Amino acid sequence: MKEKQQRYEALVHAFHADIYRYAYWLVKDKSIAEDIVQETFLRAWRSLDALKEQQAAKSWLITIVRRENARRFERKQLDTVDIDDVSVIDDTAHTDSTTEQRDLHRLLGGLSEEYREPLVLQLLFGFSGEEIAEQLSLNKNTVMTRLFRARNQLRDAMQRQENQRGRQNG
Amino acid sequence: MDELEFRRRVYANPDTTDRDIVEAAKSDPAKQAFWQEQKAQDNALLEVMKVPVPEDMAHKLIWQQTADEFVRHKKRSRWYVAMAASVAFAVGISFTLFNRGPVSLGNEALVHMQYAAAERSHSGLPVDLTQVNAKLAGFGASLTDMVDNVKVANYCHLNKVRSLHLIMETDQGLMSVFVVPHRDDITLPDAFSNDTYHGEAVKMQRANILVVGDKQADLKPVMQEMTRKIQFSA
Repeated sequence: MKEKQQRYEALVHAFHADIYRYAYWLVKDKSIAEDIVQETFLRAWRSLDALKEQQAAKSWLITIVRRENARRFERKQLDTVDIDDVSVIDDTAHTDSTTEQRDLHRLLGGLSEEYREPLVLQLLFGFSGEEIAEQLSLNKNTVMTRLFRARNQLRDAMQRQENQRGRQNG
Repeated sequence: MDELEFRRRVYANPDTTDRDIVEAAKSDPAKQAFWQEQKAQDNALLEVMKVPVPEDMAHKLIWQQTADEFVRHKKRSRWYVAMAASVAFAVGISFTLFNRGPVSLGNEALVHMQYAAAERSHSGLPVDLTQVNAKLAGFGASLTDMVDNVKVANYCHLNKVRSLHLIMETDQGLMSVFVVPHRDDITLPDAFSNDTYHGEAVKMQRANILVVGDKQADLKPVMQEMTRKIQFSA
């Protein structure tokens, strides 16, 4: 029991920050992300015995987050609130961040989920193409294409943004 | 490597260490520059991705788990307590039901025989008719004449039925007579025995007469004497 407790606490300390960020970029809402993380770790605790190797912990937690998020969507189907009525972009950018960072934050949030999710897995968790493919149940080529398009779109958008600013300032 | 392929590969993973990408960048400053820009954008992206984590989140997660464990533990104990209570209840019910079942007095009488020997010793005085009749009065009975050889006359309980126990020293050894009032929930076999003793019973007007003696003893004379001398009031 005590050993399980220690394993759990180690898991929390090692992964809670990145798991929260992952959840945040999945739902783009701080409080929903926090709810998902709480639910995720609760489920993780209840089935901690099933987790044999520490190595697999990261991808195990990510799987729980994704499941929780899907569950949330199922529930949401029952609500009458139209998703379009809800402000999707939640400006969480740090108050002391630069204009470029704020733009990037907004643009990243504006990417479609199928592009954003592999990008977050690659950058935040350092997953390889194969690992992302496995995590998202996609083939590796699809993953690489999505990563390519994600960065391509971001770069184009950033350049448009700079040009616009340049014109406004000039 | 053409421009498009190079860009595709770098976009897909700016941290790539693939040899052909490295070679292509070395020989083309434009590609090198693009690669560096992408790395810079990735660094900026990573900074943006690392949104601030709510304060004390780790503590909250640990606390919530402790609370969950506590609640589940409580639920579990509640379940155990409920289970234990049910079992105790069932045992109680069945015990009561068992005891309500017909009681056989024969066995009870045999058990009492084991105490008869000890019982005898602390009665210094001989028992007389008045004494016995005083005790029989509670059953609405009396003896017309004193029965022989009575050493002890005392109340005892045969399975919670208050009875009169007479202990006699006969030439056939120790014998006991029980006078037991009728009760609906009591069965009485005509004869009963164990390894040491045997007994006979006769149903009379308002009570049963049991005579118990050693295995070899002839109980008939005592039984006849008892049934002849006992009288029941109307």
